[in-house]
Amino acid sequence: MTFLLILAFLGVALFEVPNLIRNKHWRELTFFSAFLAFAFLLSLLQILNVELPNPIRGIQYLIKDILHLNYS
Amino acid sequence: MLKLEKGIISSSQLTFLIASYIFGGVVSITYATQLAKHDNWLTILAGFALSLPFILVYTALARRFPDKNLIQIHDIIYGPYLGKLISASYLFFIFTILTSNLRYIGDFTLTYILPETPLSAIVILFTFVCAWGVRHGIEVIARMALTLVVFSAFLFLLTFLFLLKDMELTTFLPVFEVPLTEFIQATHIIVTIPICEIFIFLLVFPSLNKKQQLNRSVLLGLIIGTGYLFLTVVRNVAVLGPLIGITSAPSYEAVRLIDIGHFLTRLEVLFAIVLIIMSFLKSSILYYVLVLGIAQLLRLRSYLPLVFPLGIIGISFSVLMYDSSIEQAFVGSTIWPIYALPFEFLLPLLSLVLAKLRRLPKFQGGSR
Repeated sequence: MTFLLILAFLGVALFEVPNLIRNKHWRELTFFSAFLAFAFLLSLLQILNVELPNPIRGIQYLIKDILHLNYS
Repeated sequence: MLKLEKGIISSSQLTFLIASYIFGGVVSITYATQLAKHDNWLTILAGFALSLPFILVYTALARRFPDKNLIQIHDIIYGPYLGKLISASYLFFIFTILTSNLRYIGDFTLTYILPETPLSAIVILFTFVCAWGVRHGIEVIARMALTLVVFSAFLFLLTFLFLLKDMELTTFLPVFEVPLTEFIQATHIIVTIPICEIFIFLLVFPSLNKKQQLNRSVLLGLIIGTGYLFLTVVRNVAVLGPLIGITSAPSYEAVRLIDIGHFLTRLEVLFAIVLIIMSFLKSSILYYVLVLGIAQLLRLRSYLPLVFPLGIIGISFSVLMYDSSIEQAFVGSTIWPIYALPFEFLLPLLSLVLAKLRRLPKFQGGSR
């Protein structure tokens, strides 16, 4: 599973990076790598069954338990 | 400043984009249906009337800054730092709408069509098709919208005609039976989830070729989209009757009842086709807007490199964000309307008022 994931991410990198380097789009390359690294970390942790913080839970907590605005 | 999107769309294409976006919200009227039951058609009419002023706020904002998208408008009105913060929170909101949509289509396919498949497999395939559309830009999505809206409207009319003999108009009686609080909540859901989400088109409006027709095409798209929702709800209430508050996908259950002489049966997959096509368009538009917004916020020269990383993050979050479709329905009916409130109602209104008070945009040397 992890091997497949690494393969998929390598595929994405090979698809995008040559064009970016050829056009000298360094800023784009930086942000592309940052987002791709984040995506890789996220999906790797998910595959390894690590409990991740959930933004929707945070919003639920904010609206329900702090602001008390939710519909019952 | 280089323009990120070079594609141009016509005003009729914008109409169909907006109509298809609201069509795509047919999944979320279920949250309102479970509350308002057979009075749901009234909530759609009330939601349409209530959302009109807000839609006019969006178009007024867009006409005030004809060549600017939402991110640039925030930069002008709130200054570079606060503007960036507001834009980032908007992009997070758009991201959560996108992941909810991906999750919904995954859950729907899982429940009704492919029960043994893992959720992530469906979501990955669906997102990949969306990414393909997004990489080709807004022009391709807009051309696709025209064809697909006509196709699914045809399928919808077909199911409507087949169900005519099963309809009973007495199921609408007694009118206005639900308690007022639930009616208000259902209307709130209708306003925030399918209809007022079209604020995301503030990022698409700069690609329009004839800016003076903006109001007309937006309102026409709104009427077509809401009319479709209205007809769907009327059909479901007339066919299902008291059953409508119980099912989790009323349209699917209604179409399932088609039986023409024991020969034409089990046509529910027609509705599944319409739902998947419309969710595909809605997700593509959201995905495109998200990627474009992030590229604009980070001042990139092209949004193409962000398409795949953002799609993968979206897939991860859509699998992660809810434990079950029950939780999604719960969040959609109680939390989401409140969560959407600042982004859809307060901030656009505030932006417009501030722009009026500060007399923005200022003319700079003859050219805007």
